[in-house]
Amino acid sequence: MANKHLFSILALLLTLLSMVACSGLKTSTTFPARHPTAEELTVEPKNCVECHEGGTEIPYQRYVHDADWGRNHRQAAYQGEAICAMCHQTSFCNDCHATDAGLKPSEKNDTEPYRSMPHRGDYLSRHRIDGRIDPTSCIRCHGNPKAAATCVRCHG
Amino acid sequence: MRMGTRCREVLLALMLLLGVLPTSSFGAQVHFQSDTLLQVFQRDTATEQDATVLPGYEYLQLDAGALDDYGLAFHFYGWGRADLADSHYFDDSTDGKLLYGYLEYRRPVNRFSVRLGRQYIFEGVANEAVDGLRVSSDLGDYFSLSLYGGLPVALDATQGRSGDSIYGGRLSHHYGTRYEVGLSYKAIANDSDTAEKMIGVDVSAFLPANMSFYGYSAYNSETNGWAEHNYGLRIPLGSVTLKPYFQHFAYQDFFGTGANAIGPFRVLANTDETLTAYGLDALWQVDSAWTLGGKAKLYDYKQKDTAETFSVQLTWQGDKTQFGGEIGRTFADNTAGNDYTLGRLFGYCAAMAGRSWVDFVDADALLAYYDESIYGKDSSLFVSLGTGKHFLDKALTVKISGDYSRDPYFDNDLRGMLTLAYVYDHK
Repeated sequence: MANKHLFSILALLLTLLSMVACSGLKTSTTFPARHPTAEELTVEPKNCVECHEGGTEIPYQRYVHDADWGRNHRQAAYQGEAICAMCHQTSFCNDCHATDAGLKPSEKNDTEPYRSMPHRGDYLSRHRIDGRIDPTSCIRCHGNPKAAATCVRCHG
Repeated sequence: MRMGTRCREVLLALMLLLGVLPTSSFGAQVHFQSDTLLQVFQRDTATEQDATVLPGYEYLQLDAGALDDYGLAFHFYGWGRADLADSHYFDDSTDGKLLYGYLEYRRPVNRFSVRLGRQYIFEGVANEAVDGLRVSSDLGDYFSLSLYGGLPVALDATQGRSGDSIYGGRLSHHYGTRYEVGLSYKAIANDSDTAEKMIGVDVSAFLPANMSFYGYSAYNSETNGWAEHNYGLRIPLGSVTLKPYFQHFAYQDFFGTGANAIGPFRVLANTDETLTAYGLDALWQVDSAWTLGGKAKLYDYKQKDTAETFSVQLTWQGDKTQFGGEIGRTFADNTAGNDYTLGRLFGYCAAMAGRSWVDFVDADALLAYYDESIYGKDSSLFVSLGTGKHFLDKALTVKISGDYSRDPYFDNDLRGMLTLAYVYDHK
């Protein structure tokens, strides 16, 4: 067992050292640390292709915040976290995706009805139906003991 | 505020580290944000009917260091709540949470990043809060690797943190804007027992004519079965975009996540049920302001009957004004014992900013009709009205909102909220 742990630690150290060494290899892909804000641009930077055309590093069309973006951004975010981080701090994601954010998203941001947020209004009644149709959709945000604290009050 | 001892230790260590590091390492940027929310509503509690509940929430965010540039930075975000009316309504709930607190060092070459502390990992099969270390970097032009390890925050209340661990990572191969393929892994242990082991494959490919293909699969290596397949196409046709997609879930493997599973879903892991869904999202950008969207989704099960959802959305977005509406119908009588119709109207206007005693107003209304009544009621009505004003060159925003709900759970429920949002930036 001790040898197994030693091997795991050595493998991890070797991988980390390889990463640091390989990260020194210069690539053509260098993103800016921060995208200009809406105040700096005088326009909300939601439609990437209005300013960015073509390019060989970022598929800009993929990150256009259209009317469906709130419901369809998962994989773009999971593959391009560094791109999201140019505009958003994790606190922005935490409105919906957190172990326990205190208030439901539409309640905390009560004066922003234009944002796509789950569970608006009386979701307590609708969740009896939606949860039976597709319980997998609940797991995205309520998939662990902390994040499910609101479910456990009634469901145990 | 209940906060684990280990969590406090990590936070204290980070703060000390922040204090001893030379200021030049950070640049001098500071971003501070405070959101103070005061709610009022009535609820039945264990000791009183229609007790007035007056919770005060404080959400604090602090970012310091190299924020607009690469370098070293510290990030903190958390919230706390006080029951100002001593209603005991929140007796069984957490009164606060450190959502994240970590040091990050980034450098531009290869997007190299190291994070230490409490953080969220959103990549591959991971959607986790971790107290630990994450390292990520491009490996040359065509590969990227990230690795993380530490303690899972979600399990810190499940028999303490002794024997808890989480580790994983994602290796991806990408070729510019052509394609990206990722292989990810996540292993979680609770009290030295395996809680969850998942392997994921994700792919996105950018096809001719601006079309794209994307999706992911997750394999549960504890139950030895595919938990999920989720794939779709994005097809732009002029001003119309079509997004057909396919999803498949095996409940035994999707919900069979050991100690990480929770009450209402744990029972589903013991069923042989599968869910296959076919959907189509369509979006028509009519002009620069109007957008018309439609959604259709069919749910098919191995054991249960089918269900369908359909909806249409229309929105208008101007420079400082936005409004829209949505109507949808859910057919689930054979799977959930009910069908319902949902309608929504919303509006937001900031056109009067600087010319009126308020800078914006907003309204939101939802109406749902249920074919089978729920607790004797066959509809839900929710209405929300709000307004706000900016002060101190927009550093301070005061917002007031009121919500009304008449639904199967509440006869006439009123809730008010006052929000003070303060932002300080130093560059």
